Amino acid sequence: MNKYNPPRMNPSSLRSRFATRFLRTLSKINAQKPTSSSSPTEIFRRYRRIKAAADKSMAYSVRSRRTWSRAMLWKLRTRPCGRRSVKTSTIIKSREARKTRHEKQNKNTTTTTTTTTGEDGVVFGVEADELRELVPGGEAMDLYNLLDETAHYIKCLTTQVQVMKKIADFYSP
Amino acid sequence: MAEVLNRTAAQRQPTWNTRGLNSATEQVGNWFLNPNWNNSMDQSDPFESALSSMVSSPAAASNVPVSGENVMMRELIGKLGNICNSGDASCYSTPLNSPPRLNLSMVNLPNQSTLAPFSADPGFADRAARLSCFSTGGNFGGLNDPLMDSFKLSGNQSVNVNGTQSNQNSPMAGNSGSDKKNTGVSRSSSPENAESGVSKEESSVSQQIPSRNDAGTRKRKSIPRGKAKETPSPAAADDKVASENDESNSKRSKRDGAPAGNGNAKATNDGDEKRSKENSKPPEPPKDYIHVRARRGQATDSHSLAERVRREKISERMKFLQDLVPGCNKVIGKAVMLDEIINYVQSLQRQVEFLSMKLATVNPRMDVNMEALLSKMFQSRGLLPQGIYSMDSSAQAFPFGYQPQQGLPLNNGIPNITETQFSMKTQGFQLPSINGFTDANPQVGSVWEDDLQSIVQMGFGQNQPQSYQGSITTGQVKIEL
Repeated sequence: MNKYNPPRMNPSSLRSRFATRFLRTLSKINAQKPTSSSSPTEIFRRYRRIKAAADKSMAYSVRSRRTWSRAMLWKLRTRPCGRRSVKTSTIIKSREARKTRHEKQNKNTTTTTTTTTGEDGVVFGVEADELRELVPGGEAMDLYNLLDETAHYIKCLTTQVQVMKKIADFYSP
Repeated sequence: MAEVLNRTAAQRQPTWNTRGLNSATEQVGNWFLNPNWNNSMDQSDPFESALSSMVSSPAAASNVPVSGENVMMRELIGKLGNICNSGDASCYSTPLNSPPRLNLSMVNLPNQSTLAPFSADPGFADRAARLSCFSTGGNFGGLNDPLMDSFKLSGNQSVNVNGTQSNQNSPMAGNSGSDKKNTGVSRSSSPENAESGVSKEESSVSQQIPSRNDAGTRKRKSIPRGKAKETPSPAAADDKVASENDESNSKRSKRDGAPAGNGNAKATNDGDEKRSKENSKPPEPPKDYIHVRARRGQATDSHSLAERVRREKISERMKFLQDLVPGCNKVIGKAVMLDEIINYVQSLQRQVEFLSMKLATVNPRMDVNMEALLSKMFQSRGLLPQGIYSMDSSAQAFPFGYQPQQGLPLNNGIPNITETQFSMKTQGFQLPSINGFTDANPQVGSVWEDDLQSIVQMGFGQNQPQSYQGSITTGQVKIEL
């Protein structure tokens, strides 16, 4: 009898990487939590952790190749310990300086960012700021790189949504 | 371009290709400076017609080797000088003494004319302007401006000469003709060092901004790109921005003339992309920065060129994003596109939040496994739904929580797979014969549960992705793949 060989997935694709990591984290979260977790706060807390896990898994899957992943990882690292001391703020500042320096290099090729003359600046002034807020790490990027990051971010987000949807449906009745 | 020159050469002499470039340009330059030039260019109708044909033809020819064009253009200019020379020997004694192989029967350059009427001569200015647009290789150093003014049309010609400063000519008819060229640069100052002085040229080039965009001719800049490399960095911006290849491109490829620095690598890549995209010809000699060629009718200063390159890059990105974001194909316009993108990103983020909330509430006890992962990976659209329902080997409560349901919505549209049973074994699972989804609905539940429990006992934790071939009853289990 011929064995059915399912088509192999790409083990190094973004989707598989993210799914692996996320499932691992999810199982960890699930393992930790006690059986009775119907309280809203508990659920909320789990929700937050799962969301953070999802974001972190996604960012780790992308490594540091992208500005948004770097920014997201950094944000995730600093956020959980909400009460960061001043000492870390210097680290934050240095990190930001490094980031903006790196991004400034990309900016050298372009004249200005959003305040350019011509139709670019006029058109993109407001929307670009919105986009910057949405895309992590987009605050210090010029428009071209911002669009680049947005494209990659969208791709990763769709992968994330797909995987999570599958997981959720897998688990839900 | 080649055929035009051949055509014109056929009219008179097929020897243009052999003429030396610099000498021709120098001849022309001297000739232009010569106040004795007369007004009889009007009579050289064949030449004018040749010129007009040459002017019009480059628009057609898009791929001509640079060197060939240079040569041809200079030869043409040389011919022009020859034409004048033939009539009046005194004017053009020194350089234009090449044997007049030009058979311009009607060329008759009788009298002397000063340079002032020289400038006022519309015919000559016309032709000169036309010619100037084609002379690319020669560097005309500082003599751009005065000579260019002389070439400015007084209005009745069709050549659109862009002069920089008006020293002589008061009536600078800007764009009187259909031809639009960067004539000033190319024509003037041929006696100057033809091979250097790029910066001066480029400054003049940058000033000459054709204001009208005509279809027929193309704009040529005489600054060879290779020269730009030699210039110092202060002029580098102008050089890089304004330097162009001597290519006859109907559409210019634009590259960002970023000063050598950080952006260079990236810009070079972009430039390389653009170059390959734009069907450009010879590789540009300097590689450390990107060369931009201005389009017709567009500003040529460094800022606007860089701006334009940036805008092009951004619109590329927007197009790419349009493919990513569903439903953006109909939208035209950057603002609306950006709004759509923003909405899409927001919706995706909200979806992630919602799904994580769902995961938080739904499965308190689900243990995730690699098998589930693999199954999910396999269960892309259209694939066989693998029954890899990850069950922890720790044999917890029945992990699936699946309850027999009617009407399984298999949303990946697996047409052939009508699974009746969910049978799993540790080794070598085989897909059971699939009869129909609707079969055996009531029985399946129990069977399935039995199977699942057996699986749990078997220690499902083994990673045997291939062997898991499950078939899920349609009616029983709701599996969304």
